[in-house]
Amino acid sequence: MNERNIIYAMLYRQLRRYFRAKSRVLGTIINPLMFFLFLGMGFSASMRGISAAIGVDYLAFLAPGIAVMTTFTASFIGGISVIWDREFGFLKEVLVAPASRTYAILGRALGDSVTSVLQTFLIMILIYAIVPSLKVGGMLFALGTCFITSLMFNSLGIAIASKMRSPEGFQLIANVLIFPLIFLSGAFYPIENLPAVVKPIFYINPLTYSVDLTRYFMVGISSLPVHLDLTVLLLLTAIFTFLSARTFNRTTLD
Amino acid sequence: MSAISVRNLVKKFGSLTAVDGISFDVEKGEIFGFLGPNGAGKTTTINILVTLMRPTSGEAYVAGYNVVEEPVKVRERIGIVFQDPSVDRNLTGWENLYIHGLVYGLRGEELRRRVEESLEFAELTKFKDVEVKNYSGGMIRRLEIARGLMHKPEILFLDEPTIGLDPQTRAKIWEYVEKLRDEEGVTVFLTTHYIEEAERLCDRVAIIDHGRIVAMGSPDELKQGIGKDVIYVRVGDNSSAARLLEGLNKGMLVSYKELNGVLALSVSNASKAIPTVFEVASRMGIRIEEIKYTQPSLSDVFLHYTGREMRDEEADWREVIRMRHRMR
Repeated sequence: MNERNIIYAMLYRQLRRYFRAKSRVLGTIINPLMFFLFLGMGFSASMRGISAAIGVDYLAFLAPGIAVMTTFTASFIGGISVIWDREFGFLKEVLVAPASRTYAILGRALGDSVTSVLQTFLIMILIYAIVPSLKVGGMLFALGTCFITSLMFNSLGIAIASKMRSPEGFQLIANVLIFPLIFLSGAFYPIENLPAVVKPIFYINPLTYSVDLTRYFMVGISSLPVHLDLTVLLLLTAIFTFLSARTFNRTTLD
Repeated sequence: MSAISVRNLVKKFGSLTAVDGISFDVEKGEIFGFLGPNGAGKTTTINILVTLMRPTSGEAYVAGYNVVEEPVKVRERIGIVFQDPSVDRNLTGWENLYIHGLVYGLRGEELRRRVEESLEFAELTKFKDVEVKNYSGGMIRRLEIARGLMHKPEILFLDEPTIGLDPQTRAKIWEYVEKLRDEEGVTVFLTTHYIEEAERLCDRVAIIDHGRIVAMGSPDELKQGIGKDVIYVRVGDNSSAARLLEGLNKGMLVSYKELNGVLALSVSNASKAIPTVFEVASRMGIRIEEIKYTQPSLSDVFLHYTGREMRDEEADWREVIRMRHRMR
């Protein structure tokens, strides 16, 4: 019973904090939107062949990539709040609570995921307005995929952040990780036509499966079998959640 | 059963021994204080007692439970106010308390009522919807104390409860703590490097230095343990001093010294001895030019046992840093 309480408490906290920081909400939407407009419109306008090669309009192809990019960036960066909590002392309040730390961290990941998906939802509305060919019926499933993606990367972010002492350190790791993972995920171009040497890099990138599944729901095309996408995502989410809970459970002040 | 029981507790950080084999018991319903300079091992001890650090060796029981083996049982029964703020600055006072209540298993109407009660106790009802980052240091302290009490703990830990606060807020927090003991019967374990805080507030004090307890007892016991009141009498010249000394009943003096016409008389109770000194002097026709007396303070006690003054310079410097940290 207390498990439900702590999950709810942490979820409540993350949501409250999120809605209080309105500028942050706006900031996290502008970035992916610029990618979508500048990259998407530029490519689809100047490279007429690209849409023919993919089989769909390039903007439609790019849309799920941008959605996943939004989710991924927001959720992974969300892990940094663990470091801020250490800096500002709130971490101690959680550590001395007579409640399960596993559920505390789960509640936190759920809260961050809800906010990440909300952001993604806002982006999606804009994208759907710009690209009418996207499947409206798939939106909910696409958001579901983004939710799983968010849990996965928020947990990873928390696991890394729990080991770090400075926000700057985490920021550095985030900067080094975020762009390669996005570029090597098939968010911006299809992976089918890539040379065989490069392909394995895409296959070990968890984001590839998120993008592929989201694209399946939003556009109706996918590079990989859908059930493979889903299996990989669920499996990795379970692993990363476990990892973050274990790291957090071992956190002391020593 | 004692509220807190500690036996041969040791905590080492690498080659540094922060806590060096301390043992003590805190009885239920008392205010027990750790008095010592910064770096003496006070916070480390608290961190072990509240289950946030593991001791290197030794044992500690809080509310009857071993802090290493049954940390959750301990956590359920204690409230803590850390030295540095541990509230969420981006949430309001109300929200901070609400989350705390949830985490400690409260819900529904009960939870909401307790939140309001706690706000009232902290005298923050008016500011309940203000984000904590806009609170003053004293308001945050009050909020944290109210939060630490919200789940009705058996034992409350206060780590330097009044550090960096103005005298009025400090006095107010002392009143809170006394009220807690008197009305709620809460056991309080606090650390402080303020002599007057320990004297004013604590039923018993342990003086801690370099990770060891050098003396323990009630403030009065500790002060009496190192000596008595000292009366200084200036009579002008050495011969008058010698005559006055002769006239005094040696039974009331613990010891005495005479130097350049000043008599230093150690007595068990200065307020009773001073009239006698006047009486004897006037009977013998000796004019007293000046008289004063000093009572030993816990500061003298610290000096007596450690051979050092309890210097606050370093503490002040740290407080400035801490205040800056708080203001961010």
